Amino acid sequence: MNHKKIFAFTLCIALHISAFSQSLKVAVAANLQSVIKVLDADFKSKTGIAVEPIVGASGNLVAQIKNGAPFDVFLSADMSFPDALYKYGFTTEKPVVYARGILIVCSTENIDVKHWQQLVLKQSVAKVAIANTTTAPYGKAAKEALVKLQLLDKLSPKIVTGESISQVNTYIFNDVVSLGFTSQSFIYDSGQSKKLYYAVVAPKLYAPIEQGVVVLKHGADNYAAEAQKFYKYLLSSSAKAIFKKYGYHTD
Amino acid sequence: MDWSPIWLTLKLAGITTLLLAVVGLPLAYWLSRGRSVGKIIIEALITMPLVLPPSVLGFYLLIAFSPQHGLGKWLATHLNVRLVFSFEGLVLASVIYSMPFMIGPIKSALQQLPLSLSQASYTLGKSRMETFIKVLLPNIRTSLLTAIVLTFAHTLGEFGVVLMIGGNIPHTTRVASIAIYDAVENMDYASANNYSLVLFALTFIIVMAVFIFNKYNSKSPLE
Repeated sequence: MNHKKIFAFTLCIALHISAFSQSLKVAVAANLQSVIKVLDADFKSKTGIAVEPIVGASGNLVAQIKNGAPFDVFLSADMSFPDALYKYGFTTEKPVVYARGILIVCSTENIDVKHWQQLVLKQSVAKVAIANTTTAPYGKAAKEALVKLQLLDKLSPKIVTGESISQVNTYIFNDVVSLGFTSQSFIYDSGQSKKLYYAVVAPKLYAPIEQGVVVLKHGADNYAAEAQKFYKYLLSSSAKAIFKKYGYHTD
Repeated sequence: MDWSPIWLTLKLAGITTLLLAVVGLPLAYWLSRGRSVGKIIIEALITMPLVLPPSVLGFYLLIAFSPQHGLGKWLATHLNVRLVFSFEGLVLASVIYSMPFMIGPIKSALQQLPLSLSQASYTLGKSRMETFIKVLLPNIRTSLLTAIVLTFAHTLGEFGVVLMIGGNIPHTTRVASIAIYDAVENMDYASANNYSLVLFALTFIIVMAVFIFNKYNSKSPLE
């Protein structure tokens, strides 16, 4: 009976569980997409442990973690998302700050970004990119700054929202927008083939972007030693030096 | 180039197609026999994924299988089965998502077969099962192949559902379409282009193969 054989074969395949690669799965806020590669390489050379980064907007990653995504460590772009995870019991401990982000205004055009507050109102600036103001902490910070300067309402017709900071970076890089609010780490991204013009947004205009890290329950249950090592490494002096090089404050 | 997303896509499409062939054949046969209100409703539901936005399907699957509550919680605690952010979940979603591509062609082909074919077989004392396998199936070979190939090709391109319930986990749910999106997000256009080219070539070959096969099997090459 041929169809019985086919059925049995199908069942075997369906029940076959895909082979898991033994590496630490780290959920990473989008602003870290370049620095994480350097950190991973450095960590691997020191410990031999491989890290698989999954990059996305912090809020989206939190939603995935709450719904059972098998991540071991979470590097957020703020403190409130990892704090919420701690409150709901998805982490073993409270989040710790590993870096402080720097908000910048950035453009590929040689325009007067230094005086961006006047510049954004000009006719020549058609579109301004901001990351999602609820799921992306750098988007939240940009909104705060604009509200403080009373520019948000005037600017709203020009604003283009990116799903995460990496989408904003893509918009800036491909000249889809005249300028965008992003993290300073974008300037230090590897493989930049274009000159970027940028100005740092005054830190007093937004609440500090403290970026927190937590070891998740999944990591504590399955890769306790590796997750703990990576967590400790992120707070070590060698990781701090890398963060500094990529446009973050670590003190 | 990291081939794991391509491999994962092929694996997902392969398993989905196999499962759908097993589920779809009896289902299509049952739907092709007569009409009742129940059958019409079920057929409508099966056809839904053709027009339903994939994100809607993804959203409801996410709600249904989230380990936070209800069915998903029960599955996680009692059977240790997690259907969100796992490969098994993608298989389930793909089976629902690609079902119309398997059922449609097979059901139409079965309905177009002359009734005398099965009746002749019954009068010769053959059972329903035997008639279906030895008489009906060989007569709808072309449609069967079309259904299998279309199902496979359609699953290759899945994106919205995967993004909703699979996320972007390497070796688990990062299929080629997700890898392209991720690469573009990371401004890694070289990788995005590699994956896109592979998918483009793959789907082109599949569609061409079906065209050529149909040409040789139809009475005139223009059919």
